[in-house]
Amino acid sequence: MSEPNERSDGRAAVRADDVWKIYPQEPAPVEAVRGFTIDVATGDFVAMAGPSGSGKTTVLNLLGGLTRPTRGRIWVGGEELTALDDRHLARLRLEQIGFVFQAYNLLPVLSALENAEFTLLLRGVPAEERRHRVQELFAQIGLDGLEDRRPGRLSGGQQQRVAVARAVVGQPALVLADEPTANLDSASSDALLDVMERLNRDLGTTFVFSTHDPRVMERALRLVRLVDGRIERDERRGPVPAAS
Amino acid sequence: MSRGNGVWWRVAWRNLWRNRGRTLVTASALAFGYLAAVVVSGLDDGMGAELIDNGTHLLSGEIQVHAANYLPDRKVNHTIGGDDGVDVSALLRRIDEDPDVTAAAPRVYGGGLVSAGDRTEASLLLGIDPVREPRVTTLLSDMDGGRIPRSAHEVAIGSEMARQLHVTLGDTLVLVAPAADGLLGNDLYRLVGIFHTGTPEVDGSYTILPLADLQSLLDMSPDRIHEIALDVARPSATDAVVARLESTLPTDGGPQVDVRSWRRLRPELAQSVDLMSSMNFLIILIIFGMAVFGVANTMIIGTFERRKEFAVVRALGTTAMGVGRTVVYEGILLGILALAAGALITWPVMVWWHNAPPDLSGFVGGISWAGSRWRPILRVEYSTEIPIYSALALFVTSVVAAVYPAWRATRIPPADALGDR
Repeated sequence: MSEPNERSDGRAAVRADDVWKIYPQEPAPVEAVRGFTIDVATGDFVAMAGPSGSGKTTVLNLLGGLTRPTRGRIWVGGEELTALDDRHLARLRLEQIGFVFQAYNLLPVLSALENAEFTLLLRGVPAEERRHRVQELFAQIGLDGLEDRRPGRLSGGQQQRVAVARAVVGQPALVLADEPTANLDSASSDALLDVMERLNRDLGTTFVFSTHDPRVMERALRLVRLVDGRIERDERRGPVPAAS
Repeated sequence: MSRGNGVWWRVAWRNLWRNRGRTLVTASALAFGYLAAVVVSGLDDGMGAELIDNGTHLLSGEIQVHAANYLPDRKVNHTIGGDDGVDVSALLRRIDEDPDVTAAAPRVYGGGLVSAGDRTEASLLLGIDPVREPRVTTLLSDMDGGRIPRSAHEVAIGSEMARQLHVTLGDTLVLVAPAADGLLGNDLYRLVGIFHTGTPEVDGSYTILPLADLQSLLDMSPDRIHEIALDVARPSATDAVVARLESTLPTDGGPQVDVRSWRRLRPELAQSVDLMSSMNFLIILIIFGMAVFGVANTMIIGTFERRKEFAVVRALGTTAMGVGRTVVYEGILLGILALAAGALITWPVMVWWHNAPPDLSGFVGGISWAGSRWRPILRVEYSTEIPIYSALALFVTSVVAAVYPAWRATRIPPADALGDR
């Protein structure tokens, strides 16, 4: 076992070592994740599949530092997040991790552009650079002209693309997406996956996303199947794009 | 983490307007709390001002000048300038020169007996300048009958004493008083006026006569007076006038004098006014103490409705403190909004109420309190302190009300909130 502040393999975007998540519950504790171990290379495009209750969301929450494991260790971008206090964990999430949620979860009081630049604002990036990066990204993912719209005036697919822009704009080591296409029709799903693939390929952004949609699984470079909180199968479907 | 402050203010401001009705109701509650605090305190101040006004203008004046040894014993020989007296006209001229003094009236006091027929009453004899005195006090402004005594051997007494002596205008009164030379002075006087102040202790004990007449009765030269009563333009200038007169009057061979403001002359009145002022803070405390719970309740509901959003911003890298901060910012902005609304509704009400106070004289008679007459006219008095303290209280209320919801927001577990657990 490595020391708490020891860095993991620099090539790994995220690494988990024998991670367990047990919820104390009556009459018996619930083991949501059981001995989860994985090493995701930088630039990979990984899908986690499995039936409801298989632990997909819990694994993503653990990898993103939104919940702490009962035991086991996790590294993101070489930093052991399980050894960090809340403040440093927040800093790690801000700089190294992007999130895309099933229900989009954009802030309703901010415009599309303001939502997308949110993490850059928190990082103190100057306004001009923020706007430039977001607008460039919006152009890439087909959100041109929608910058000033509030989420309530965007379609589901558009909102999810804004959420993806928000997740990747800060160029994090890892983007975690929890069933990002679950609320979208098939056309919007395909469009969103196109965007994610392009960002993965062009920017080298590492994506780990959960899904139970076979069409989404097909597009993953690596498919990890979870059953009852354990990895049942880990399948490589394509090479990890070379780091740019 | 201070970076990104602008976005939190923006988020807080826009969040306020997500539920426009709720924000307006909450801000209105605070604004009306501000109105209530300022107006009720203004009424309290108005009552205090009325007490001071009546308490000082009835008899004492706002400032009095005496010989240094006159108070508290009030011995008949302790006149300004001692046994030799003082050039009264010159002294009055010097006092009149003070920019804040609007009027000054010389006085002589004596203790004696007033008799009419077979009835006799103890009385405080007050010698006045019939021209100057009405500019300083209202003692003789409300006459039941007759006029101010102006000539030799004329007196005025209060309505209560007139009742006790069974006298009417034109009757003859005998005044007997120990004089400055130790002998008893006595003389006959014609009753030319009966005053009614509404304060029983004044109406039942004072006998007023021209200054020269009382000096003669007490065997005192025209240069000997006991007191000069002053009226000042602004009550707030009283202390400054006292300080100036104390330093300037004794110069150039002038007499050693004791200059006192109404606060020292009428400590019971000063204490009553201070008590009323302290009640203002109690009023503010009660009003905003109640408001804080209502505002906190509204903010708790608003915070609970946004659990998921707080979880999202936590996931995006905001610290728990950062999440709490945005709730506190909402409290601050709500406070500013409520304060602006409060000021907008309060000032017109204050101006109107100050200029057109409800007069309850038709329902309630005058009340005598702390030796002063209070008319039931509900005038609000302007104040610089109360609106500022009320504004601070409103602002603190809205921020304090946000602290608990903010703390709760920091405790939201992101994973649970995102999973709707």
